[in-house]
Amino acid sequence: MESLQGNWRNSRVRTSTPSWRRFKDRIAFSLGFLCVTLAMIPLASILFEVVRNGATALSVQFLTGTPALVTLPTGNAALAGGIAVSIEGTLVLMGLTAVIAVPIGLLAGVYLAEFGDNRFGRSIRFLNDVLSEFPSIVIGILVYSILVVGLRVGFSAFAGGVALSIIMLPIVTRTTEESIKLVPRSVRDAAMALGIRKWRATISVVLSTARSGVVTGALLSIARISGESAPLLLTIGTSSYFFSGLNQQVDALPVRIFLLSSENYVSGAQQQGWGAALILIVLVLCLNLAVRIATRGKYGAVRSRI
Amino acid sequence: MARLMDLGLEKLRNMVLDMAELSENTVSTAIDAYVQGKDLRERIYNWSEELRMLQDEVSELAVEIIARYQPVASDLRFVKSCMEVAYGFSRFGRYAHDISDVFGIFGDLSTCDKTAIERVGSQAKEMIRLSIKAFTERNVEMASKLPKMDDVVDDAYLDFVKRSATSPDSDTKCMISGTLILRYLERIADHATYVGESVAYIVSGERAARK
Amino acid sequence: MDKELKAENTKPILISRPVEPLKIQTDKLNAWFGNNHVLKDVSLRIKENHVTAIIGPSGCGKSTLIRCMNRMHELVPQAKVSGAVLLDDANVYAKGVDPVSVRRKIGMVFQKPNPFPTMSVYDNVAAGLKLNGERDHARLDRAVKRSLDLAFLWEEVKHELDKSGSSLSGGQQQRLCIARALAVEPEVLLMDEPCSALDPIATAKIEELITNLKDQYTVVIVTHNMQQAARVSDYTAFLYLGQLIEYGETTNLFENPTEELTERYLTGKFG
Repeated sequence: MESLQGNWRNSRVRTSTPSWRRFKDRIAFSLGFLCVTLAMIPLASILFEVVRNGATALSVQFLTGTPALVTLPTGNAALAGGIAVSIEGTLVLMGLTAVIAVPIGLLAGVYLAEFGDNRFGRSIRFLNDVLSEFPSIVIGILVYSILVVGLRVGFSAFAGGVALSIIMLPIVTRTTEESIKLVPRSVRDAAMALGIRKWRATISVVLSTARSGVVTGALLSIARISGESAPLLLTIGTSSYFFSGLNQQVDALPVRIFLLSSENYVSGAQQQGWGAALILIVLVLCLNLAVRIATRGKYGAVRSRI
Repeated sequence: MARLMDLGLEKLRNMVLDMAELSENTVSTAIDAYVQGKDLRERIYNWSEELRMLQDEVSELAVEIIARYQPVASDLRFVKSCMEVAYGFSRFGRYAHDISDVFGIFGDLSTCDKTAIERVGSQAKEMIRLSIKAFTERNVEMASKLPKMDDVVDDAYLDFVKRSATSPDSDTKCMISGTLILRYLERIADHATYVGESVAYIVSGERAARK
Repeated sequence: MDKELKAENTKPILISRPVEPLKIQTDKLNAWFGNNHVLKDVSLRIKENHVTAIIGPSGCGKSTLIRCMNRMHELVPQAKVSGAVLLDDANVYAKGVDPVSVRRKIGMVFQKPNPFPTMSVYDNVAAGLKLNGERDHARLDRAVKRSLDLAFLWEEVKHELDKSGSSLSGGQQQRLCIARALAVEPEVLLMDEPCSALDPIATAKIEELITNLKDQYTVVIVTHNMQQAARVSDYTAFLYLGQLIEYGETTNLFENPTEELTERYLTGKFG
């Protein structure tokens, strides 16, 4: 006790004067503020550029039309029509990916959280983490060589969905596992003490308690894959027509953006590229908003039914 | 580790010990006054009143300790016993007062034979002393001697009563006053025995069966 | 501490009384967490339709003891049990006994109120039945009302059955948990320090409720609050370092403990 007090007195003698401390505080605060501002610059400038260039491209025809090339009186080719096909393609791919990856990721996450405290679980978790770090182009090549070429599926919505699923799976698995682990032990104990079987308790009580976390993870991972372009370039081909089957080639916004912006000879292409980028950003933004709304109020607001 | 309750228990103990000292003093003064034929009624009365008030204070403090600290086990037994012992001590004072009052009723008793009373009186004084010592030291062995000593007092009392009733030529005044005083001494001896029983209860939790 | 005392601590002190039916008996119960031996040869006889309190300093194994009774202990990784727990003379650790069926007969209430956070008051109470397959609405309604009544909660929540269980006050939440445990109609109710997170008024309500419950149930309550044990229980067991030191009628144990260790624990003269 005495020695503690002694130390405290000593350190008090050494402490600096109030004005020096206030100065240090201001320095730290200004540095922090500066860094935040620096980090905001790219974000703000991207948003600004995309909105400035993209907004002029927006029109009803742009949002609902199919791509069409017209020949201008000058003899040059120009781009008319719209990107409806690409928007639809992206939505189809997002849905398909979710249908494939969410159930698998969910169950894998539940398994890892509830039964994964062993060697097998740990290796799965490790591989899952490795997979989530994989460059997406590598996954594209993989699906291209196995599915598109190897199994002769060809460029198709299905191949694209599989490629995106492989990217999405580790994210869903991880977030599901983490949110299930966040469910307090006491909730699990309560369910077990009621004489409920473990699988039933896991699904009806634990998973429903973790629901908002799981939903957040799934929606965020969909937002993440909606912007992927590299794996799609190698899997979905390209199309100017509306969706006609999972085995058919489709279009997607990221791919369309890539094609449009690398087109130097057709006038209007670049502008449409900006427009498509704006639509993609709005789409991702909407998904993020959906996450916010779905998880508002955390526990309690989202009521589960048994 | 000093507990908060210990402060209260210590205070309670001191109050009871004050009462012990005063009650012992009161009883022996009353007996001696009787034997020597002195009238000390007022002094004894004051002391017995003081004992009664002290007993009230002990009860109040005991209740406060119970309310504040919820004593259990030996603490609980000690608090409960303090109330009982304090009651015993206040009875000592009351009987001492009664003894001194005999003088007031009968006036001069110098012609009576006081040997029996002297004998029983010193036995009762010894019992008080012993019960107080047993309480102070929490000495069960010492306390266990009390019932036997009590029997001696009881026998002496009954013997005196019988003798008085059967001998035709005894002086009525001496007979009645002697019987009264022996009766009070017999009660004092009983209470001393109860104090001894409380000691056994504090130490081991055993309750003696009351006669 | 006190080596000479410890040697004899293992045998239970039985009460010689007209035979009352025993509900739970533990026989030489030992429990471990990994290499940590937390219960040592505990043999305890718990009487039917009485409240039995288990007291003792933190870490003495009192929670583990009751978690062994309904086989919750084994849910913790690395946990081990040996010995027997008899529920009406049938060993719950016998081969082939399904722990789930044991837990249905021996309900449990925990230290912190833990209603299912995403469920309504109604669903919380009905959870045990619903998740075991009960679908009859009339029967569920009856069970919910009966349990909430038993838990002294019906009057307070009857108009808010649809509200989230976690929107109730702490004391109400704990009574909701008691109702939830009662809804599956267990025979024994184990309570693991049920009032340690509650204020005195909420505590008093739960204590009243406990004393009420013993007409229909056998209650075992773990508490670190000695006064609470003294208030609610008929029998008290004192556990120290995993051993049963003393077991007897509550009044006797609190007024006149036979073991020196019990005396020192009760009077706060430990350590």
